[in-house]
Amino acid sequence: MKNKSERAITRVVITTGISSVVTQLLTIREFLALFSGNEFVIALILFSWLILGGLGTLLARPAGIHPSRATLNRLALLSFLLAALSPVQIMVIRVLRDIFFIHGASVGFYPTFAFTFCTIAPYCLILGFVLPYSLFVIRAKNPDYPGIHIYMSDNLGDVAGGALFSFALVFLFTPMQALAFANLPLAVCTFLIFKPPSQPATQGVLFTAATLAVLVMCVYFEKPSLAPEEGGLAFYKESRYGRITVHKDREQFTLFMEGRPVFSSINIRTAEEAVHYPLSQIEKKDHILMISARAGMMGELAKHHPRTVDYVELDPALTSVLFEFNLIQKIPALHVIHRDGRAFLSETDKTFDAILLNLPEPETFQLNRFYTSHFFDLVSRRLSPDGIFCFSIQGYDNYLAEPQRRKLSSIHNTVSMFFPHILMLPGEKIYFLCGNRPIEKNIPARLKKMGISTAYISSYFYGNLTDRRIDYLSALVDPEVPRNTDDSPRLMNIMFSQWFAKFTASPKWFIITLIVFTGMYLFRITREEFVLFSTGCMTMGSEILVIFAFQVVFGYIYFQIGMIVTVFLAGLLPGAWLGEKLSRQGRNVLVLTDCMLIFLTVIFILVFTFGKEMLTASSFLLFGFSISLLCGFQFPAAFHLRGADNVAAVHTFSADLIGAAIGTLITSIVLIPYAGILWTASGLIFLKLISLIIMVNDNGNKP
Amino acid sequence: MKKISRRDFLYCSAGLLACTTPAYALWPFSDKTESPSIRASIRGKVFKGDAPDKLWKWSHEGFSYKKLKNSRVMCNICPNHCVLSPGDRSACRSKVNLKGTLYSLAYGNPCAVNTDPVEKKPLYHFKPGSKAFSIATAGCNFRCLNCQNWEISQSRPEDVRHHELFPGDVVKEAGRADAQSIAYTYSEAVTYFEYMIDTARLARDANLHNLLISNGFINTPPLLELCRVLDAANINLKSFRDAVYQQLNGGRLQPVLNTLKTLHEQGIHFEITTLIVPGYVDDEDMLKQMCGWILAHIGPDYPLHLLRFFPQYKLDRLPPTPVSTLVRFRELAMEEGIHYVYPGNVPDHEGNNTYCHNCKKLLVERKGYYIPEYHIEGNQCKFCHTIIPGVWV
Repeated sequence: MKNKSERAITRVVITTGISSVVTQLLTIREFLALFSGNEFVIALILFSWLILGGLGTLLARPAGIHPSRATLNRLALLSFLLAALSPVQIMVIRVLRDIFFIHGASVGFYPTFAFTFCTIAPYCLILGFVLPYSLFVIRAKNPDYPGIHIYMSDNLGDVAGGALFSFALVFLFTPMQALAFANLPLAVCTFLIFKPPSQPATQGVLFTAATLAVLVMCVYFEKPSLAPEEGGLAFYKESRYGRITVHKDREQFTLFMEGRPVFSSINIRTAEEAVHYPLSQIEKKDHILMISARAGMMGELAKHHPRTVDYVELDPALTSVLFEFNLIQKIPALHVIHRDGRAFLSETDKTFDAILLNLPEPETFQLNRFYTSHFFDLVSRRLSPDGIFCFSIQGYDNYLAEPQRRKLSSIHNTVSMFFPHILMLPGEKIYFLCGNRPIEKNIPARLKKMGISTAYISSYFYGNLTDRRIDYLSALVDPEVPRNTDDSPRLMNIMFSQWFAKFTASPKWFIITLIVFTGMYLFRITREEFVLFSTGCMTMGSEILVIFAFQVVFGYIYFQIGMIVTVFLAGLLPGAWLGEKLSRQGRNVLVLTDCMLIFLTVIFILVFTFGKEMLTASSFLLFGFSISLLCGFQFPAAFHLRGADNVAAVHTFSADLIGAAIGTLITSIVLIPYAGILWTASGLIFLKLISLIIMVNDNGNKP
Repeated sequence: MKKISRRDFLYCSAGLLACTTPAYALWPFSDKTESPSIRASIRGKVFKGDAPDKLWKWSHEGFSYKKLKNSRVMCNICPNHCVLSPGDRSACRSKVNLKGTLYSLAYGNPCAVNTDPVEKKPLYHFKPGSKAFSIATAGCNFRCLNCQNWEISQSRPEDVRHHELFPGDVVKEAGRADAQSIAYTYSEAVTYFEYMIDTARLARDANLHNLLISNGFINTPPLLELCRVLDAANINLKSFRDAVYQQLNGGRLQPVLNTLKTLHEQGIHFEITTLIVPGYVDDEDMLKQMCGWILAHIGPDYPLHLLRFFPQYKLDRLPPTPVSTLVRFRELAMEEGIHYVYPGNVPDHEGNNTYCHNCKKLLVERKGYYIPEYHIEGNQCKFCHTIIPGVWV
């Protein structure tokens, strides 16, 4: 039976798990709000987090060699530090953003990576360090204490933290409040293990009070830390989908989502173009569908007197703000629907005379879903025979650069599968007008005929959109550029190229360095560590695969991300518990579980290829749970084979984390955008096959 | 006691190094007015060893450069004064040093060719309603974070698709397009100076006007040479603070002011454009200083365009400029004594019209690029016969 001290340390490990997952998720959200929100950035954060965690774990090695150095009080001090650092880290990221980088400017790949790595380093290194250190503290008194128990306690905390955040904190609290809430149990549990040699109560209370003071202060300074340099902060809300702020500068309100200005109260040009370009093409305008909107559109739309305007917007918090600040006006025909645009289109029976898509650039997997063949097919089926479909992408002034040209071509080649007539209009944005009838270029003339007055189009169209400019754009379409599909999102790698081109950077050096360091690492680890490395890779790779495949099948993924992440964490715990029971089977367990992982992934490929329509949300969750269960199963077996001493524990913990870091990065930014879902799954099978071969060929010697 | 291994040492060092970086968190307490970011300047640098091995068809020896020791050369076109060793490429990306000679790789290869209304440049006091045949090659001596044409301004001439239009061809094409002027614009005309001046000379012979649309970052001697064939210019005065110039544009203020003075002394009609970037250029005191300088050095007659900023290129996390800021700035500049101040990027605003600075009557009504009303006779106000600065007929 565990003694009191072991139980107290276990509680600290569990609460550290809770705190760390909440901190991780909020750190990702913070970076998305301050930097670009594409998959590269998300992958960089996760990669840095995991690799630093692995590094922190390795830093604990000296303490493992000399267990007498591992003391309860040092653990307590580190845990207090973790609890306090958690919100401080977010504050530091906010403050340093505009010190290291130019205010208002976006940041490229390498500076983002360096900033991410450095700012989360203190927290992640300590976090990684604390896990094995907790084990050493226990083993200082009980040398036979099984390391896997610490792993399981940490997992338990992770699952609880993931669930707490996804199902409660994200809905109820701001980031600092959520962090104060999530770190409170850690502070309390740490207080309970703190036993200084003299004046125990005073010092313990002092450290706890200091930690709580930091948590409270960060809550207090949260709103000031978000105040803009231009004007004032008129509104702030952390919606479940991201950060919404409204800045007021003189008479102008600008709504920022994830740090980017997306709606501004006075922008006639965008509103007119987005509405009148398409609606000038059709005579019958009874039923209009708008997927998302742009500021001022409703007023322009009302000039066409539609009978119904279905405005689909995902986030209720967003529409509420848009109406509150008059960024979107209420018009009589308006019907607001809070739903994913794609899901709405696939469920509705209604036919529309015009479908206006007003989403940002397809720079994330979520947004990419609105630019695939599947989506365009859906649109074409919901459009009346004489109807018009309009969307836009980022434009150019005088020259279309090569990545943009490929993006334009990919979209054009995809949408042309479903619409025989497409007109692309250049400008600040490139508008695609798609229909079954020829599209008229002379838009001002059509608007004049319809008796619709405009401020921008009537005055500037002919000067800006000359035939030469329109023809130049059409001539640039390359029919050889691959189409963008759900299964193979080719547009994503083009978007990544465009992002790199904007910053005159290339991921080449990063990838080369990563390969070199990974190679060096793999040469130095044992077979069992390699199995765990590949398991970490498999867990995170599969998680990203499931998140992406879920979107392909259902067309959206929002709350389900939280469920999937939680399920992937949840499987590890029972897996590890079961694995511990069979850990003496060692090598056989690893071989068997590797086979099962491969088998499961093969099943995934088969079902995804031949029976996609049969897949339900629960089948994805079941798959995720099974994968993580098997991965969790492998940990105790590898732990057992690697040896139970402290140094071995350090290496096994770190192998898992480093594998997870590499898996995250490779899957999300290389395999899925460049090779598609099926090849990504095949890649994971290939990795596990290597692991299997290594274990089968193991004759008991270390490599 | 066991010695620390090399591996442990490396891990510990990396960890400690990473931990020290947040010490920069103390930086907010430093003075933020001059340099809100520790990245004080984004000035472009020479690209070492980036020149091609041999010249291509669209090359031309540099117009103004100095040969230095060891086959190095110094370009004298713009105040960057790039010193290039053999094989180097200039900061603007269009000049290279091949075997001790400076060459421009932007000659006869425009990557953007359009016919635009002259108001789009913007030039409101130069032949209203006329068309400008507009060309640009790749390259720029600035690094503006909000560049509208970054796809060409931040590229090498070899990396973009281009037309083939040597100076004579440009003049012919401009004639075909029924343009009265040729505008050297879009990216940065100073970086393709050799191409520009040769074209401008031929254009002058063909009775076409030459319009320079530029950041004004050019040395005086080549500018004086250009002025011989130049008819009008629009100079982008990006800010009146050198620190903002360095931080947002990678340039310096003083050379641009020198350009304005030179153009004034040479009697070239020019207009000034200032983009009012929120948080950087929307400072009333700075505007007053700018107006003060304009009045003291070049007088009140050069039109000033105050443009509304929209998030663009890398500077995409700022809000647009409130229209009332532009209106206020316009009033302020006119109160200071500038005669003609126009808000830009604000469609349908009455400030886009030209009103006589003497009798205040409407002279030119502008609806975008259209001119429904025009009341200037010769170069005088139809109502009070005051001379209106500009080139009208």
